[in-house]
Amino acid sequence: MSPETAINVDHVGMVFTLDDGTELTAVRDVDIKIGKGEFVALLGPSGCGKSTILRLVAALEEASFGRVTIEGQDPAELSRAHRLGVAFQDHALLPWLTVKDNVALPYKVAGKKVDTTRVKELLELVGLGKFAGARPSQLSGGMRQRVSIARALVLRPDVLLLDEPFGALDAVTRRHMNVELQRIWAEDEVTTLLVTHSVEEALFLADRVLVMTGRPGTVAMEMKIPFARPRDPSIQRTPEFHAMADKLTLALEPEA
Amino acid sequence: MTGFATRARGFLAKYWGVIGVLLLWQGWVWAKDLNAIVMPQPLDVVRDLVTNPGIYLSNAALTLTLAALGLVMGMALGTAIAVLAWTSRLLSGILIPLGLIFSSVPVVALIPILARLLGYDVKTVLAIVVIISFFPAFVFTSAGLRALPPGSEDLFRVFGSSPWQRFIRLVLPSAVPSWMIALRLSAPPAVLSAMVAEFLMGTSGLGYMFRQSAADFQTDRAFGTSVVATAISVLCFTLATLAEKRVNARWS
Amino acid sequence: MRLSRPQIQDLALGVLGILLFLLGWELIGFYKLAGLTWPRFSTVMEYLFDPSRRGLFGRAMGASFSMILGGYLLGFLIGLGAAMLSYTLKPMQPGIDRLASTINAIPPIALAPLFIVLLSREVTGMAIATINVFFVIYVAATSGLEKSRQNHRDLFKVLGASKSTRMLRLDLPAALPSIVSGMKYATPAAFIGAILGEWFGASRGLGLLMVSAMQNFQIPLLWSAVFIASAASLIAFGLMSLLERFVHGRFS
Ligand SMILES: Nc1ncnc2c1ncn2[C@@H]1O[C@H](COP(=O)(O)OP(=O)(O)OP(=O)(O)O)[C@@H](O)[C@H]1O
Ligand SMILES: [Mg+2]
Repeated sequence: MSPETAINVDHVGMVFTLDDGTELTAVRDVDIKIGKGEFVALLGPSGCGKSTILRLVAALEEASFGRVTIEGQDPAELSRAHRLGVAFQDHALLPWLTVKDNVALPYKVAGKKVDTTRVKELLELVGLGKFAGARPSQLSGGMRQRVSIARALVLRPDVLLLDEPFGALDAVTRRHMNVELQRIWAEDEVTTLLVTHSVEEALFLADRVLVMTGRPGTVAMEMKIPFARPRDPSIQRTPEFHAMADKLTLALEPEA
Repeated sequence: MTGFATRARGFLAKYWGVIGVLLLWQGWVWAKDLNAIVMPQPLDVVRDLVTNPGIYLSNAALTLTLAALGLVMGMALGTAIAVLAWTSRLLSGILIPLGLIFSSVPVVALIPILARLLGYDVKTVLAIVVIISFFPAFVFTSAGLRALPPGSEDLFRVFGSSPWQRFIRLVLPSAVPSWMIALRLSAPPAVLSAMVAEFLMGTSGLGYMFRQSAADFQTDRAFGTSVVATAISVLCFTLATLAEKRVNARWS
Repeated sequence: MRLSRPQIQDLALGVLGILLFLLGWELIGFYKLAGLTWPRFSTVMEYLFDPSRRGLFGRAMGASFSMILGGYLLGFLIGLGAAMLSYTLKPMQPGIDRLASTINAIPPIALAPLFIVLLSREVTGMAIATINVFFVIYVAATSGLEKSRQNHRDLFKVLGASKSTRMLRLDLPAALPSIVSGMKYATPAAFIGAILGEWFGASRGLGLLMVSAMQNFQIPLLWSAVFIASAASLIAFGLMSLLERFVHGRFS
């Protein structure tokens, strides 16, 4: 772990009150520290509370127990200062804006002047320079996801939060997108929390993988990923990669 | 005690707007020191309502009867023609656009024409309500007859049911929700157009009463008529909405 | 725009229906099947386009259309404003909802005396049109403003959007399809309001023309006035439908 802690999820628990009044503990005693510039992947089966953790870091929820801070501050302060970048599984592009305007949206929301060269550069970086004037409905699923990642990065955020950004894509496109994401991320090396179901995705992208399991979810295992960057897709065929993948897969299986 | 307080709070949360407007009205009458002929106080209106219930009731009953009867007849006619049009591509192709056109023009503007055409008479009021209720019933039933649950038609064909059976058991029932929408949409205009027709022709009923009292400067009665008209309109709308909810609950 | 075969058929049948309607109108008038108060279509058109009456119709249209347009704009602004208010200040919503539906439940005929006293006879039509439009827009806009999707709201929150930024860049654009549909249905409502208002004693306008022609047996004048109002409303409705199609294609 890098010496400086950027994101500190400090013994956090989250209890939801359902419509019928019953209480549901989504996560319990989760303790995660993410260093500055570190890329951490949160891996786990459906319903173990990965999105809940990400939403807590994004200030979309308030922790019931414990506390989340980013560089010592409340996450809500970062979002108010427009220093968070986020991409969801569902691209969440605004259908009435063009690709270019969608990427420029964070500037407008922050009340800043749109840096058109930055928008253009990012669109080139995600390989959509030619589609600047298109509408989201005219793009494929993979292209939309790239736009939403460009939008997440456009303000050079302090923290990048990705909740299964490629979850809805087919396996081939997904692998391709992972290679792209690694390349894009390498430009800035921004502190990143990636939520994913996919063992391969986590291994290929992250500096460190955390496995969450159980209901309520807790962190069951932690693994450092030693591959040097930039990583070539071919590392996914190495024996080390396979060994680590097996270990993670085993950790994911609940006491089987 | 606390139960009462929370209930009062709930009531206020819902009705602060209405209460505010009533207070503004009363305050405005005071502030401008208006003459009772120009603007009656809410209290005068209530007094006239309470002391002369007979005249209000008989006129309201007449208007309500005409509106309800006209609504039922208009809906029946609209439904019948929609069913007829459903049987033929030619007929529906011709009639549905016309129905849409007529239901998007201001139909109350037809009242003077109908009044002249049919003569100043109670029957004309009825005819006006029938015609005004006809178009929504026709348009919505036509749409409903075409909105079959997906796949159900094939199912009936596989069962080898006759066209008549198919119509009775499948097509007609699936048109019921749209028909209920037509009923809800037509109920307030039915009351309104009955009253407007009565007002314009000066025959009988609430519209006539309203016109007469306004002409005689009986402003408290004119406003009393307004109150009764509002009550009837709300009643019809509420009944139609309740009927729609009931039917929808059974149908889905 | 390329049309498919059934679409061409629909269009042809629709046009056929309109032609048959006009032909029927003409023939009933020609053979006097409905008496002397049913003029031929051609008579009405001749009357309508007679140069000597250009001034008469021009003035009436000017008066009515300015009331309709004024009422429409005012009703639109108030309706949208109220919807935005009740959306931003959620605790106020039940009160505003209740006030809006109470005002809507009062039949225009009952509101007329209030407006005549409060405002003046001349603008009563505009006031009723305003109320009619207000309600349609309020209902459409409140339901539209709830339509922004959860993930978009999350996005705006993470990006640190202020309430006003979110309203401008998310809630309003997401509500636009509903608002434009509301604008479409508000057009006949505005016409109805203005005409009704004029019936309660305006000194100009198409509504006045209708009532006085009805009372004085000026049959072609009566039909011409109704024709103008219906045609204008239909054209406005058609234009709004085009706008609606554009907006629905773009914003949803
Ligand atoms: N707003 C909420 N209200 C009530 N319960 C919630 C809410 N959000 C999440 N939960 C519950 O919390 C638990 C964890 O949900 P979460 O979405 O974090 O899981 P996840 O690991 O992201 O799953 P997936 O991989 O399917 O996205 C689930 O049982 C879910 O039903
Ligand atoms: Mg999730």
